[in-house]
Formats: sequence, structure tokens, C-alpha cells
Amino acid sequence: MKRSTFVAAALVLTLCAPAIGRAADTGTVVVYAAASLREAFDAAGAAFKAKTGIAVTFDYGGSDTLAAQIAQGAPVDVFASANVKQMEKVASAGLLAGDAVTFARNRLVAIVPKANPGKVTAVFDLARPGTKVVLAAAAVPVGGYARAAFAAMNGRDGAPPDFAGAVEKNVISGELDVKAVATKIALGEGDAGVVYATDVTPTIADQVTVLQFPPAASPDAIYPIAVLKAAPDASAAQTFVTYILHDGQTFLKARGFLAP
Amino acid sequence: MIRAAIAIASATLVAFIVVPLAALLLRLTPAELIASLQTPAALTALGLSALTTMISLAITLLLGTPLAFVLARADFAGRRLVDALVDVPIVVPPAVAGLALLLAFGRFGLLGPPLRALGIQLSFTTAAVVLAQVFVASPFYVRAARGAFAAADQNLEAASATLGMGPLRTFALVTVPLAGPALFGGAILTWARALGEFGGTIMFAGNLSGVSQTLPLLVYLELEGGNIAVATAVSVVMIAASLVTILIVRTFERR
Repeated sequence: MKRSTFVAAALVLTLCAPAIGRAADTGTVVVYAAASLREAFDAAGAAFKAKTGIAVTFDYGGSDTLAAQIAQGAPVDVFASANVKQMEKVASAGLLAGDAVTFARNRLVAIVPKANPGKVTAVFDLARPGTKVVLAAAAVPVGGYARAAFAAMNGRDGAPPDFAGAVEKNVISGELDVKAVATKIALGEGDAGVVYATDVTPTIADQVTVLQFPPAASPDAIYPIAVLKAAPDASAAQTFVTYILHDGQTFLKARGFLAP
Repeated sequence: MIRAAIAIASATLVAFIVVPLAALLLRLTPAELIASLQTPAALTALGLSALTTMISLAITLLLGTPLAFVLARADFAGRRLVDALVDVPIVVPPAVAGLALLLAFGRFGLLGPPLRALGIQLSFTTAAVVLAQVFVASPFYVRAARGAFAAADQNLEAASATLGMGPLRTFALVTVPLAGPALFGGAILTWARALGEFGGTIMFAGNLSGVSQTLPLLVYLELEGGNIAVATAVSVVMIAASLVTILIVRTFERR
């Protein structure tokens, strides 16, 4: 084969690439949702399909990962984030079809393995030197909420003035999403981790002990949802969002989420 | 007609591989690239990746060379099984490798209690990064070395023995030089695979700057944090390393 033929063919294909790269309209609503929503949304999605006949595909992950993928042009119809910050990131990129609406709230809890290798009996123990603390990375919503909660505990209720700094020194891993934190603690690899109350699912409930944050230090996690401009079928996407705001609340409540 | 079809088929695949690589390279100016690589997180990850891959390569050479020799020369019951088992990590999905390591060496894993008795916790440490790398990358060296030892001219080894050299000296001065190029190629491949290791590391070693956050983890984390420049810069470094690796391996294969 002549080299020039080969190069020419390569060039032509390269130029054609953008034209053939368009995502096909699959006829289902594609929802990017925070990892913590997995169980509630799986159940809500099935009920939604039974009611409306519209199929929903979910992609769960750290809200920050999902927001980054959406910003890079992922073909997504609906985004449900575990914090306002990641939703604002998508909004400020001009990718939302309308305003985001809060559809649920969640509480932070600390979890420790049932065997309790680090002898952690209260959230204050997370600052004790040598305690192996597993958090989500700071960019992941639950990682951000956890660090904010520790900072709010600084010097209160008998906590040392730099409680947050002391906990940060004990952090042995910044996991990629909240489910990874729950798994590491359920396996007993860390002494304590911080997750949402809803992540203590029936699957891991018997493997971990739940510790509550002091009420003043535990701001609720806010979950916003929105339809994206890129949605090929905006009305189907909006139907799903409306469903989550009304009938779908049952499934969120059943999993321990708080009303918006 | 057939020529055109062949040209199009070949060009399609080449373009498919080249375009994403080019996209990474073209994203940043050289100045931006250098600036992004000089962030503390990138420098730390670069250092950690260099350190851990060197250690895992050393472990692989030390343990893999005898194993490859035995697999190539010795005949024992179960040799074929061992031979196959050693290759398994090459095809195992990354998450499976991580889970397997966690269930074996984790605090409550198979070997957790004896390790704990010795005061050792492996998960979430730099040692865990090395173990994950050895697990996924060592088979590449063992495969290459096994083939090279099998192909080495045993007449020369016999001659060496006749001339009064002991088995160890014969191995070091005759067998290894005969197998040299293939051993080197295998070692380079192992190093490159270790450098790219992600799944086992994130599951078994976690993610902490300076302890377990290697270059591939940094790329993922920076991408998540919206810091595309740093992610791209580190990706360019990794692609450059891969390219150099492949060129070196090719050079030695030709000999």
C-alpha cells in the first residue's frame, strides 16, 4: 500500500470523526445521580417506568465526577447531585434547561466496623492520634460535608480547638465516592468513616455501628435535581423530575432521606 | 478495490488510536504543561510513582527470575497449572485484583490476623501500592523471562559447566546474557504496567497524597475536581513514558 494513500485515508477519517460521533437518541431518560441515591433511585425508576412507560437509565458516581463528565459533554438528561456546589458548576456552564430544585436532604453519620478495631465510640474519637479515618476525597460532596462538620466542631462540646486538623491528620484515604467509604469500613479496613445516614443500607447495617454527629455540627446535605439542556426529550426528563418531587418521595423516605 | 478497503480499515484503527492521544497533547501549551506538572500534588505523585514502580520492579526481578527459570526448565507436577495461574492477573479486571488483594491482605482478610500479630497493616499504605503493582505487572516479566530461558542454548550452559563453572555462575554469566534482551524487554513492560496501575491501587491502597496517590489516581482525582489542566499534563507524561517504553522494547526485540 502506498504511504500517501494511507495518510490520506487517515486524514479523511479524522475529519469525519465529529460528524459520526453524535450520540443516538435512545428513547430512555438518562439520569446521572449521586452514588448515595442508588437504592432509592433504582426503586423509584422501576416504579416510574411501571407508571409512565418511560424507561430510565441511571449512572451513579461521585457528584463531582458526574458534574465533570456533564461539563465534558456527557449525553445526560437529568442530573441529581448530592450538593449544591456541583449543581452550580453545571448551571454556571450554561447546561441546565431550567432551575435546579431541591428534592431531598440527608444527614451525615460516622460509621465504625462492628469489631471496632480503633475503639471509636463517639465522633470525637476520630481526632485521637492513630485512629484510621476513611473519608471521601475533599472534592466529593460527602468529603466536603464531613470536613465542614469537623470544622464546626472545633472547640465545641469539649473538642480541641483544632479538632478538624487533628482528624485530617488521621485520614488514611480520600475515596472516590461515598459508597467506597462505606465498603472500606464494612470490610474493617478503616477504624471510622463518614457517610450519609442513607448509606447504612440493609446490606451493611449489620457490619457497622452508626455514630451521630453533635446536632450543631451536622448541616444537612442538600440534593438538587435538574433537567439538562442537552436532553433530547425534555418532556420525558421533566416528567421524571416531577415524579421524584412527588410520588418518588416515598422511595427516598423509605431509604432514610429527609424531605426537601 | 481490496487495496482501498485495506487502507481504510488500517487508517480507521490508526486514527482511532492517534486522535485521542493527539487531543491530549494539543490541549496544553508547553508552558501550561510545565506549570501544571509543578503543582505540589503532581510532583508528589510523580515521586511516589517513581519510587513504587522501582520497588515493584526490583521485587519482580528478584522473585520472578527464579520462577521463570523453573517454569522454563524444570518438570514437576502441576507446572502447567502454576504456569497458567501466574498469567491470570494479566487478564483479571482491575476491580477484581483490588478486591482479591483486600480480601487476602486486608485487616480482616485471609492473612489479616497473622499480619496484625506482627503489627503490620498493609491496606492504605505505600506497601499496598507496591503489592498491587507487583500483582498486576509481574506476570509480564515472568512470561518474557520464561520464554527467553526456554529458548536459551543449553549447549552453551553445558560447555560452561564443563569448563568448571558452578550452576550459579553459569546462570549469571551464560544464561542471563543469552536471555538478556528478552529479560530487559519484559522488565520494561512490567515497569510500564506498574506505572499505569489504577484499580487495585484505589481499592487496596486508597488515595492519599504522598502515601498512595500515584499518577493514574491523580489524573482521576484532578479530573473529578475539575482541574483538567493538571490531569492532562500528567496524562501527557504517562503517554510519553508509554511511548518510550514501547520503543525500547521494540529495539531489544529486534536484536
